[in-house]
Amino acid sequence: MSELIPIILDASSYILILVLVALGLMIVFGMMGVINMAHGELFMIGAYVMVLAQDLGLPFLAGVLLAPVVVAFFGLLIETALIRHIYHRPLDTILATWGLSIALKQLVVLTFGPESHSVTLPIDGSLEMGAFSYPVYRLVLMLASILLICGTFWLFTRTDFGLMARAVIARPATASALGIDTRRLYRWSFVIGTALAGLAGALVAPIISVDPQMGLGYLVPGFLSILVGGAGPLAGVLAGGAVIGGVNNLLSVWISPVAALITVYIIAILIIRLKPEGLLGGRRAK
Amino acid sequence: MRNSLIGLLVFIALAITPLFVGQYWTGQLTNYLVYGLLAISLSLVWGYGGILCFGQAMFFGIGGYIMAVFTKGMIYPDLTSSYLGLLAAMAGSAMFALALGYFLFAGRGISGAYLAIITLAIALVLERLMNNWYALGGYNGLLNVPPLKLVAFGLSYELWDRLPTFYIILGIVAVVYFGVTFLVSTPYGLLLTAIRTHPDRLSSLGYSVLNLRLSVFSLSAAIAGLAGALFVTLDGFVSPTLIGFTLSTEALIWVAIGGKEMLLAAFLGAIFTRTAESWLSEIFGDYWILILGVVFMISVVLLPRGLLATPIEKLMRRRKKK
Repeated sequence: MSELIPIILDASSYILILVLVALGLMIVFGMMGVINMAHGELFMIGAYVMVLAQDLGLPFLAGVLLAPVVVAFFGLLIETALIRHIYHRPLDTILATWGLSIALKQLVVLTFGPESHSVTLPIDGSLEMGAFSYPVYRLVLMLASILLICGTFWLFTRTDFGLMARAVIARPATASALGIDTRRLYRWSFVIGTALAGLAGALVAPIISVDPQMGLGYLVPGFLSILVGGAGPLAGVLAGGAVIGGVNNLLSVWISPVAALITVYIIAILIIRLKPEGLLGGRRAK
Repeated sequence: MRNSLIGLLVFIALAITPLFVGQYWTGQLTNYLVYGLLAISLSLVWGYGGILCFGQAMFFGIGGYIMAVFTKGMIYPDLTSSYLGLLAAMAGSAMFALALGYFLFAGRGISGAYLAIITLAIALVLERLMNNWYALGGYNGLLNVPPLKLVAFGLSYELWDRLPTFYIILGIVAVVYFGVTFLVSTPYGLLLTAIRTHPDRLSSLGYSVLNLRLSVFSLSAAIAGLAGALFVTLDGFVSPTLIGFTLSTEALIWVAIGGKEMLLAAFLGAIFTRTAESWLSEIFGDYWILILGVVFMISVVLLPRGLLATPIEKLMRRRKKK
């Protein structure tokens, strides 16, 4: 039993991070039908802000606060310069954001170098409970993720902004006829999505190696989580993230990371193919 | 037919290029021709068939592995004919595409963005699989793949030299290019346009959308498989990078920059991008990839029909007016 607890905790923390990344993707995809292939790179920039903050001697918390702001600024820039012009061509957003992802990746290589960086753990201790011990920071990370996920859900289900956003998702034309500024809503949803990616990157930075290629490793599982869970309801991302992240993590421990990745992708492809509306239902992609 | 005239001019220009450039560039250009073939296959399935395949390199890689296994004599030591290898590579890729296509398109099927993500995931899975398939070389791949061996009228000739190799590859690419150009000008091409724009109406007219999708998917896979098979005979080795994600997305960039709805533009997109890469990466160093990413973005937003297709179309329209 005591060997099982760290495994389950590891899996949970991976799932929570995945959900956090996927949530940003989901807001952008569910709302605007925009597939943001550069989301992984925004996540990466969040982590690099952390690296920079550490190099400048700033406290950890300052990095955590700075990362979403910086990345949200990037998001605003991207929305204004790129995404705004191709809302009506959803498939082209895949290509354009893919170009963006290449450019951002290379920009980071040019500024920080291709090698990987590490961020020191802000909380060093580990929690001893009987037979097992677990790093405290990972527990903090899980708690922070849960709070952020709840916060996002609250924003989209309990506030005026969320109500308008869901109106735009369901009936864009009607919503705009009722006087909702859809353009503005799209923009701020995109910015919120990117800010979440940046924040996720900053929070995860201490427990992974930060390198220019790290984005893809979260992008594809993130997308699969959304599609598996269902792109309609926000809760879909929880179900999808739990399936993808959980299976991946447990199989990595029990068999091997390679077998886990292959199995997870195949399971995801089968679910998406057989149940295109996702585990929790909802509407199909346009 | 105007289209084929410009195509003919392009191939004539390519044929005389070795007279002006050295051995090294002839060799490079041979590789680019093969990439161009991959671009043609992607243009066919994406620009004409309306299937956005984010993992086109999987067919390229499958063709490459089949060719390597065959000509190295790993299946039958006595049966190492290049012809048979090429045929098997095309057939193998097409069969895989047929099975995959049936899985993806049958019934309710998936399309659009979902298809892009799924093909991307499949390419990643195949790359991981080949990285760990030790009988097929694993991460290092298979070395010492023999070059093309032409056998005719009792004579046999191995393509070691660069110039003959260039012309043989150019010939094959030209045949495929003009073949596909002809195919899309027949009623079949019209059906492809219909399937891309209004699949529902097409099925109400009595055509099987599934069969059409499968046919174009498999044909494109066969061409990609041929390209992969030719590629490994040039390079002499096959590795998991040929099957995976990076080459798939590179091909996507060539075709999008060139112009996906025009075979010639897609083909030239691959050749120009690769040539530019060799030249400009020396001048700009690491900035080249940044530039490529930005150019790709700009071309998608401002010139969705492609950087090369737009001027070529203008050229054709002007000729039509006369």
